[in-house]
Amino acid sequence: MPKGAEIVLRCVRAEGVDLVFGYPGGAIMPLYDALQGSGVTHILTRHEQGAVFAAEGYARSTGKVGVAIATSGPGATNLVTGIADAKMDSVPLVCITGQVRSPLIGTDAFQETDVFGMTLALTKWSRLVRSVEEIPEVIAQAFYWARSGRPGPVMVDIPVDMLKASAEFHGPVDFNPHPKPSDVHNDSTFCETLIALLQQAKKPVALIGAGVKLSGAVSDLRNLLDCLNIPTFATVHGMGAVVPDKPYYLGMVGMHGTRAANMALQETDCLLVFGARLDDRVTGEPSRFAPHARIVHFEVDPSQLDRVRPCELPVIGDLAETIPIALEQLQSASLPNWTTWRAVACGPERSEVDARGLAQPTIRFLDELFSRLPDKSIVVADVGQHQMWAAQRYRSSSPRGFITSGGLGAMGFALPAAIGVQLANPDMTVVCISGDGGFQMNIQELATVHRLNLPIKMVIVDNKYLGMVRQWQQLFYDRNYAETDMSDNPNFVAIGYAYGINGRRLRAEALLGEKINTGAEETLDSFLHSTKPELLAFECPPEANVYPMVPSGAALSEMLFEE
Amino acid sequence: MRILNGPSRRGIEMPYVQAEPLEHTHKVTLLLNVNPKQIGQLCRDWRAVVDVIDVQAGAPLKDAFDHSATWTPTAHPPASVTKVAEAAASA
Repeated sequence: MPKGAEIVLRCVRAEGVDLVFGYPGGAIMPLYDALQGSGVTHILTRHEQGAVFAAEGYARSTGKVGVAIATSGPGATNLVTGIADAKMDSVPLVCITGQVRSPLIGTDAFQETDVFGMTLALTKWSRLVRSVEEIPEVIAQAFYWARSGRPGPVMVDIPVDMLKASAEFHGPVDFNPHPKPSDVHNDSTFCETLIALLQQAKKPVALIGAGVKLSGAVSDLRNLLDCLNIPTFATVHGMGAVVPDKPYYLGMVGMHGTRAANMALQETDCLLVFGARLDDRVTGEPSRFAPHARIVHFEVDPSQLDRVRPCELPVIGDLAETIPIALEQLQSASLPNWTTWRAVACGPERSEVDARGLAQPTIRFLDELFSRLPDKSIVVADVGQHQMWAAQRYRSSSPRGFITSGGLGAMGFALPAAIGVQLANPDMTVVCISGDGGFQMNIQELATVHRLNLPIKMVIVDNKYLGMVRQWQQLFYDRNYAETDMSDNPNFVAIGYAYGINGRRLRAEALLGEKINTGAEETLDSFLHSTKPELLAFECPPEANVYPMVPSGAALSEMLFEE
Repeated sequence: MRILNGPSRRGIEMPYVQAEPLEHTHKVTLLLNVNPKQIGQLCRDWRAVVDVIDVQAGAPLKDAFDHSATWTPTAHPPASVTKVAEAAASA
C-alpha cells in the first residue's frame, strides 16, 4: 500500500503538474522522500517566499496551476505573502504544507502554526487533512477550486503522520461540486439592454482587465473591440489583451495611466468593463469616478460588482461565454456613429506624451531595452517606480507578456517570479526588472538562477532610494525622505559574481545624448543576446518621478504632470 | 469560518450564529445589525465563497431576536479593568 506522501504526488501528477517549487523541512520530509520517480520535478528555491512567487510566475505566464511546497511553522508562514498576492491577482495556486503530527496539533508543538486559520481570509479554499484516506479527494478539490471560476490560491495542510501512513489507493478522483443557483448568462437576454445602452451613449468606452486573459477570451474580445471601435484602455493586468497598435487603444488607465485614458474614463457616459474589478488604483477617488457613466460590467465573480456604485447592467458569468454572445448580437446591431467622440478621446492633443518625461534617463533606458527585445519576450516587473515606467513603456500584444504584482504590490516579487516564468517558457526571453529595494528582498534566489542556469536578464533600476515612497514623500510630505535612503546599496555586480552570475553596470550619462552612446549600445546588446543569466545594474538619477500621477483623493482627471 | 470572516473584517458584531446540518450540506444563520449597503457587501462576499451554495437575507427570527435582547455589548476581550468597571457601572 502506498504511503500518503506517494498518494499526494500521484494525485498532483494526475492534475497535469510536472513542476513544483518548494523548500524542505521536518514536517514535509516524507513528501520530499517520495519525489524520486514520482514524475514531479521539484525546484529548490532559497526561501519559501521565493518558492511561492516562482509558482505564481509559472501560473501567471501559462494559466496552469502553480504548486508551492513548504514545511510547517515558519515554512508555511513564509508562504503567506505569496498566497495574498495570488488572491489579489486571481492566480491559480495550490500550496501544500507539512503540519506537525496530528496528536500534537493545538499544543504549540515545535514548528507548529495554525496556517489553516491564518490563511482563511486569503485562500479561496483550504483544508487540514484529517486522514490519509481523504488525500485523493482533498487534492482533487484543491485543484478544482484553484482553477475554477475566478482562479485563486488554495492551501492543503497535511500532518506528517498522514504523509507517513499507508492506505489503499484506487487512483486519483474527480471532484464535482454541488451546483449553485446560476447567474450565468448563457443566453442573449442581456444583449437587449446592452444594445439599448450603447444606442443611447454619446461617449462610450471600454476598460479591459485581467479577467479577459484568465477566461481565455482575448480573441473574442479583440473582435468585439474592433466591432465597437470605441476608446479602450486597460488595467496593468489587462495590458496585452488589446493589440497596442489599434487606433482606439489609449494605454493603461488609473493612478499612473495615460492622460488620454484617464480623461476618456472621466468623461464617458457608458463604461463597458470586461474582467476588471474597478479597484482604487484604477478609479481614483471612488466617489468621483466616471461621474456620468452608466456601467456595464462583464465579470465572473459577483462579489466584484457594485463596489464603486451599482452598475446599470451586470453580466455575470465566464467571459469566454458572455463575450462571444455579446459579439454576435453587436455585429448585427445598429449603433451610433462615434467618430467625433473618437477623434477627441483618441486624438493627438490628448495622446501626446510629455517630451520631458521621455527624455528622463530611466525612461530612455527602458525604451532602448524594450526596442531590442525579440517578439517572444516576457517582462516581469517588481513593485515601484520602475514597475510603472515599465508598464507605461512596454507594448506587447501578448496577453501574458507583462507580469507583475498588481493588487498586493509585493516587493521582492520579480526575481523569483521570473524563475517560474523562465521555467514555464524556456524559449522566451525573460527580462526581470526590479528596483534596488525590491531586488534585495529575494536576492537569495540568484542562487536558484545560477544552479538552473536560467538565461534570465535581470535589470536593477538603481536610484538608491525606495523610489515610489520617495516620490510620495517629495510630493505630499514636504520632501521628508524618512527611511527611504538606500545610498549605501551594495555593489550589485559584485553580488552577481558571488552567485556565479555575470554582471555589468550602465550609468544614466550614457543615455543623455540624442542617441545612446556606443558603449551603452554594446552593453545592452551583449546583455540581451547572452545565453546565460545576466545582471545589469542601471544607475540612474534619484529624484525622477512617475507621471502622470493621480494623487490620493483626486479624480482621474486631476493628474499631476512633469513640472 | 470563511462565512464569519465577512462580518468580522468589517467590525460587525455577531450576537447570534447558528449552524445546523441540512440535507447534504449545512445551514448557517447569522443575526447581524447592518445597513442595506452592508447587506449587499456581505451577500456578495458570501456568494464568492466556494462552499456557499446560496445566500438569503431576511427579517430577524423571533427566537434569535429574543436571545439578542438579553445580550449587552461589551468591550472585546481581553478588556481592561477600567473598561469592565465602566460597563458594570453603566449597566
